[in-house]
Amino acid sequence: MLLEIKSLKKKFANNTVLKGINLSIKAGEVVVIIGPSGSGKTTLLRNINFLEQADSGTMVFKDKQLNLANLSNEEILWVRRHTAMVFQNYNLFKNKTAIENISEGLIFGQNRSKKDALQLAKKALDSVGLLDKQDFYPAQLSGGQQQRIGIVRATVLNPDIVLFDEPTSALDPELVGTVLYDMKQLADQGQTMIVVTHQMSFARNVASRVVFFADGEIIETGTPSEVFDHPKNKRTKQFLSAIAEDY
Amino acid sequence: MKVSKVIVTLLNGLPETLSLLIASFFFASLIGLGMAWLYLRKNPILSALAKFYLGIVRGTPPLLMLLLSYFGLPKLFTLVGININDWAKIFFGIVGLSIGWGAYLEEAFRSAYLSVDKGQYEAALSVGMDAKHAFFQILMPQTFLIALPNIENLLIGLVKATSLVYVMGMVDMYSEATDLSNQNQGIYQLEIFIILALLYWLIVLLIEWVFRMFHRYYRYVEI
Repeated sequence: MLLEIKSLKKKFANNTVLKGINLSIKAGEVVVIIGPSGSGKTTLLRNINFLEQADSGTMVFKDKQLNLANLSNEEILWVRRHTAMVFQNYNLFKNKTAIENISEGLIFGQNRSKKDALQLAKKALDSVGLLDKQDFYPAQLSGGQQQRIGIVRATVLNPDIVLFDEPTSALDPELVGTVLYDMKQLADQGQTMIVVTHQMSFARNVASRVVFFADGEIIETGTPSEVFDHPKNKRTKQFLSAIAEDY
Repeated sequence: MKVSKVIVTLLNGLPETLSLLIASFFFASLIGLGMAWLYLRKNPILSALAKFYLGIVRGTPPLLMLLLSYFGLPKLFTLVGININDWAKIFFGIVGLSIGWGAYLEEAFRSAYLSVDKGQYEAALSVGMDAKHAFFQILMPQTFLIALPNIENLLIGLVKATSLVYVMGMVDMYSEATDLSNQNQGIYQLEIFIILALLYWLIVLLIEWVFRMFHRYYRYVEI
């Protein structure tokens, strides 16, 4: 297993958001987490790279045992340097150009030389056909372009896992396709991914495993066909029947 | 009296005005940064210290701040056995204005820092930056850009406040103007002060131009 989370619990004030999550992920898997808004999907993702810190639980990542309630700064940095995240609101660095957005992590997270980092960043931008935007600031780019650069910024780091937090939720409908296309390409290349999304067709077509999440718990997990065509749990059935989208 | 003579006389005070302006702004910025840092600490004592400074200074007129510096500092230094009575007057001017403007700059820096999108910091951490790099590469430049309009206003305010040092007997542009007016028994007084106003206005225009260049350079950065 690449990542194994056990009994992860997280509370915000008196509100228990994650009620003891157990989740294992193999290298190369694309795990898509679906579920109603406010169910704790994003919080789970943020607990994996410690943007939120769990109250209790353990995590084994790349054979390293971590006590989630008691992490050292070195452990936090180590995990962050082996994972990467794509945000719902892109969160590109507003004071940096596209190429700088991509190279910053290489320079300051991986201690590469600026020259090396820029070369890698250029190659990565070229691979998604956005090299002509290298000197553009985020404000000069469309939402779709920003998010695609957000994905390049994450994957250029060659992380063991990329965490996607509703990467298409803030996009205009006509821009969603290009972002999902880039994500599918990544999945086809064997990139391990955890994707929180409301794009059910993406979940069906790209996921190796779908996790249905509600009220801070994993309700059901299985292949896309198992979860979408033959859901076992009443709560899953209820959620899927309420979705208008064809999937 | 020739206009050129008035201009030349007033410009005699320009070096003092500019030295006072540049040095005061520099030290006020350092004080502002330091106080903003203290204010944002989780440590209640450090934070209270910054709030105390802010409260006192914002409640004191700049003229009074200069007088307190000029008359108070020598007394304070005497307590620790140091005699600064014969130090240059500009020193006391710089201290008074720096302490006074530091409080306003603190507010400009702190409010700008707090308005940087939290997601920017999280994104920096997510690409493996440590807190120090995330601050210096992402948060600080964005804080500076957000604070820029306020910094510009405060610097312009400081240009005008430098004229207050006449109370300490410093020979700046304003002091040159009043001297010249007195030497001529008040004849041409209005003309002298209009020329003085134009000179201050030119300094302000120059500052506005520098800041416009900043804005132009960062015109595509929307924070």
